Amino acid sequence: MAEQKPHLNLAFIGHVDHGKSTTVGRLMYETGAVDPHIIDEYKKEASAKGKATFEFAWVMDSLKEERERGVTIDIAHQRFDTSKYYFTVVDCPGHRDFVKNMITGASQADAAVLVVAVPDGVMAQTKEHVFLSRTLGVNQLIVAMNKIDATKPPYDEKRFNEVKDEVGKLLRMVGYKLEDIPFIPISGLMGDNLAKPSEHTKWYKGPTLLDALNNLKVPQKPTNLPLRVPVQDVYTISGVGTVPVGRVETGVMKKNDKIIFEPANVSGEVKSIEMHHEEVPEAYPGDNIGWNVRGVSKKDIRRGDVCGHVDKAPTVAKEFKAQIVVLQHPSAISAGYTPVFHCHTAQIACTITQILAKLDPRSGTVKEENPAFIKAGDAAIVMVTPSKPMVIEPVKEIPQMGRFAIRDMGTTVAAGMCMTVTPR
Amino acid sequence: MGEAAVRMKIMPESTDVDLGKLTEDIKKAVPSFARLHAIEEMPIAFGLKALIVVTIMNDKGGHSPEEIESALSKVPGVESVEVEEVGLL
Repeated sequence: MAEQKPHLNLAFIGHVDHGKSTTVGRLMYETGAVDPHIIDEYKKEASAKGKATFEFAWVMDSLKEERERGVTIDIAHQRFDTSKYYFTVVDCPGHRDFVKNMITGASQADAAVLVVAVPDGVMAQTKEHVFLSRTLGVNQLIVAMNKIDATKPPYDEKRFNEVKDEVGKLLRMVGYKLEDIPFIPISGLMGDNLAKPSEHTKWYKGPTLLDALNNLKVPQKPTNLPLRVPVQDVYTISGVGTVPVGRVETGVMKKNDKIIFEPANVSGEVKSIEMHHEEVPEAYPGDNIGWNVRGVSKKDIRRGDVCGHVDKAPTVAKEFKAQIVVLQHPSAISAGYTPVFHCHTAQIACTITQILAKLDPRSGTVKEENPAFIKAGDAAIVMVTPSKPMVIEPVKEIPQMGRFAIRDMGTTVAAGMCMTVTPR
Repeated sequence: MGEAAVRMKIMPESTDVDLGKLTEDIKKAVPSFARLHAIEEMPIAFGLKALIVVTIMNDKGGHSPEEIESALSKVPGVESVEVEEVGLL
């Protein structure tokens, strides 16, 4: 039964016009998620309208209305099945205004397909999306080297290798291990190397896109990491007492656990945990819970505090080092800039005290030490001082607690991840 | 680029807030660039219920999910609004 297959959330990322929707459409088609009969109908219609080359993208557009009707309280994603898994496709909104929500939101992609058009190579958005997927903690990546049919000459191995090298440098810079990442020459439009090896790319010996999807692993829930529950809101409920609510990010919370809230620096004991109005003995990553705390009053803690176990308390940063990418900024960012950092449920003004290095996304090397400023499109290593105590932890230790979005003047200026922390 | 759905979790100030009235007030407060798609009560814990609200907006820029978040935060009785998920349709 399809329902019994393990499930993975798959994000499609990449530069606009590099063929994300065509590739998704072709995958849906190849895996039988779209009735071939319907596709044929659309093909005929698209060809009659002179849009034959866009047939799959057009199919996806035509099905959009249907999908909107399918949206209920859960945002309906497109779904397809391979022999091993069932996938729901997370199609990331194109505009940068949505970035903050991708970082602080509950939805999390288990893997991503980076679509790069081989004729074009790495573009601005390719760079941005690679950095964001890393920031968002997407550790499994497949690079779909799309439009391989449109190189000059078509199916050109030399051009494939040039772009592969370029993308590889970018991936290495943000910390991906290249040996784990397949680079697959595909054509979403023509179907090359999607479901079966293409006759046109005999020089390519690796997996097809469907094989690569089957080779993905279901990520383990981060239950082995220290407990971290960012506080969303705090209530006093008559007959019960103090009840913070929030989503467990990492670790496991059990009844009677000794817990501490940071930076509030108050500790207590878990009396009981409820989820969906039912008492549960334990809460796991992803659970939305309310927990009744003994020894802590509502006025002691607030939104943005983080709950952890007393013996492995959340780290309060005096300052931290971070890698950021500037998404948009009208002018330039220099030392002294103080925007608002959105990290888990906290929103705190922080000062960029020092720009240590500007990175070259194409080579992954330091382009400039101690630059005077950075601009939109730049990736950089910076030192940051929060204006008041704040919990943030290195992504290498607790990935869920180290990502942030930087906002200023109503827009998301940058996104980043914490590398090291100087504790308070 | 296209239509994006934005799902939010809205927490009331206390268990005493009338969620029926809050639902009506939220419906009226959705900014005009977005449209309300669905709104539903979700039990959380100890009698507390959240409202899950799904709105649909264009992702081509000009408006951001934060504008919806901030408009709904101002509705009396709302403690917090958190965007849980965004996705293209």
